[in-house]
Amino acid sequence: MSIIENIKMALSSLRAHKMRSVLTMLGIIIGVGSVIAVVAIGQGGEAMLKSQIAGSENTIELLYMPSDEELQANPNTMMMAPFTEEDIRAVESIPEVKQVVATSSEYGRIRYREEQIEASITGINQAYLDVNGLEVESGRNLLSADFLGGRRVAVVSASLQDELFDGEDPLGQVIYIRAQPVEIVGILEAPTGLFDFGVNEVYLPWNTWRTVFASSDYSQVTLQTDRAEELQEAGTKAADLLNRMHGTEESYQVVNMEEIAAGIGQVTRIMTIIIGSIAGVSLLVGGIGVMNIMLVSVTERTREIGVRMSLGATRGQILFQFLIEAVTLTLIGGAIGMMLGGGAASLVSYFAGWPSLVSWPVVVGGLLFSMVIGVIFGILPANKAARLDPIQSLRYE
Amino acid sequence: MIRLQSIVKSFTVAKDEVQVLKGIDLRIRQGEFTAIMGPSGSGKSTLMNIIGCLDRPTSGAYFLNGDLVSQYDENELAHIRNRSIGFVFQQFQLLPRLNALKNVELPMIYAGLSKKERQKRAADALEKVGLSERMHHLPNELSGGQKQRVAIARAIVNQPDLILADEPTGALDTKTSRQIMELFTMLNQEGATIVVVTHEEEVAEYAKRIVHVRDGLLVKDEDHVAAKEGESVE
Ligand SMILES: Nc1ncnc2c1ncn2[C@@H]1O[C@H](COP(=O)(O)OP(=O)(O)OP(=O)(O)O)[C@@H](O)[C@H]1O
Ligand SMILES: [Mg+2]
Repeated sequence: MSIIENIKMALSSLRAHKMRSVLTMLGIIIGVGSVIAVVAIGQGGEAMLKSQIAGSENTIELLYMPSDEELQANPNTMMMAPFTEEDIRAVESIPEVKQVVATSSEYGRIRYREEQIEASITGINQAYLDVNGLEVESGRNLLSADFLGGRRVAVVSASLQDELFDGEDPLGQVIYIRAQPVEIVGILEAPTGLFDFGVNEVYLPWNTWRTVFASSDYSQVTLQTDRAEELQEAGTKAADLLNRMHGTEESYQVVNMEEIAAGIGQVTRIMTIIIGSIAGVSLLVGGIGVMNIMLVSVTERTREIGVRMSLGATRGQILFQFLIEAVTLTLIGGAIGMMLGGGAASLVSYFAGWPSLVSWPVVVGGLLFSMVIGVIFGILPANKAARLDPIQSLRYE
Repeated sequence: MIRLQSIVKSFTVAKDEVQVLKGIDLRIRQGEFTAIMGPSGSGKSTLMNIIGCLDRPTSGAYFLNGDLVSQYDENELAHIRNRSIGFVFQQFQLLPRLNALKNVELPMIYAGLSKKERQKRAADALEKVGLSERMHHLPNELSGGQKQRVAIARAIVNQPDLILADEPTGALDTKTSRQIMELFTMLNQEGATIVVVTHEEEVAEYAKRIVHVRDGLLVKDEDHVAAKEGESVE
């Protein structure tokens, strides 16, 4: 007797008790749905956190973190800006390094006519545009000529328009930073993310920044490689090189991104497992519901079982019939639950702004798991059916 | 075809062993139409269940077509029931949610026949019992006699060697009972071996041989055919 025959039989007997089947499935639907939602949201969150630290553009930041001993040995260390022009050239010469993004930031006052506000003023080199990019909404971006000539131009964040210009068009206006005039040529897009706030920002070409602040050192250096696999190695080489050049032990460092990513992965995974297990309890309850209804169904259909046996069904075939029925029930419930759970996860991800990960392994795993639930909770009723005595069953009222 | 030797069947009821069949010897030949009669509780159904391979004797030997089926395991017995035996019950025992055609298809599902083959043979069997018009009716849309016809179609559809009917007319009126017995007679004339359990003399009259059971023993065997042929009967 074929499996298809059994499935058809199972479907027709589930259809015969529609209301009961749907209510029984509800437990599985809720169970599978919540597990899938938790796992998908968890994986989405993990992916988002990882992409935030690892920098999606194959970049790694060089850190300047002098140890206590080094600070004691040379008290000036803290005062020095950590990266010089020379350092940048040296890092650029490392074969794996594609380009080096170097910036310096100061928090300072900017003035437009009588208005003054605080803003973060960042000098960037040209590589910054390639790697991080500045999303200019109106006006123009910084150009090569601006970088080479150290022109007194700036791109500012959208929030400046409100705070410094009272909603007037800032394009072409001149602002003063440390009493030096700078013309605004571009305005950045306003941030859209849930967790982004409008920050007052001014971006200057590096050479301009240097003249304005009279400083030729960079505070932040990020390097980029062609391939992600080279990133850690290139970063380590760069840190070693800088330590050698400055005669320091390990003042220059790079984060070990794999370790951090693994750490984040572990945290989110533990969270997912904990919440998932709680959701799993509802699945357990759903499974017990299936078992309960199947037991009722077996009792109700005692005569049917007797008839089938008298017509030549083996105990194995009866067992299989009821097992398939339980599995069909949980499989359909699982599929519906997965759609609802996946939908819920997509909704949450959409509003939280991170990728929703209902991946194929999760779908296949979920379906397999629903089947396993069906087998586990179906085996007892199916076994009860298979062990019935045909003669007694035929007499059952 | 059927050979029962010293068949004993006992049940344990509240720790007491009750012997229901106390040593039955019976031979039924291919093509015979036999009725089993006896008072209520004499063990007729118990005997039928053993002949039908739904149950095994406590002791004794049962040969069906020369095979010692009393030694078979449950799966082998299920196979025998499926291929060699057709049951007809007093209460019809149709599955209420399946229509006539689907009910008749059931034994062939367990025989592993294809859907097409099953439908064709089920339709043929229903035609044979005169129900081609009611193929798609559910059991509760059929009269008692019609239900029993569906049950008979189901019993013959796998072309068994043996048709067993335990009080097939017990739930039917006299007129319908006659029609059902005529159907059995027709099947017997086509070569089927038939055993019918009944209380009613009138029903037993259709059989060529009547075996009487009392208190778990055979007490009388009226074999009209064998008597005519002058044979002795066990
Ligand atoms: N499973 C069982 N357990 C205990 N006793 C049983 C069992 N099956 C049958 N019996 C007993 O065996 C005896 C014969 O039963 P059986 O059903 O064979 O009688 P019968 O001749 O078919 O009667 P009826 O004409 O009323 O159908 C009865 O006394 C019955 O109580
Ligand atoms: Mg009886």
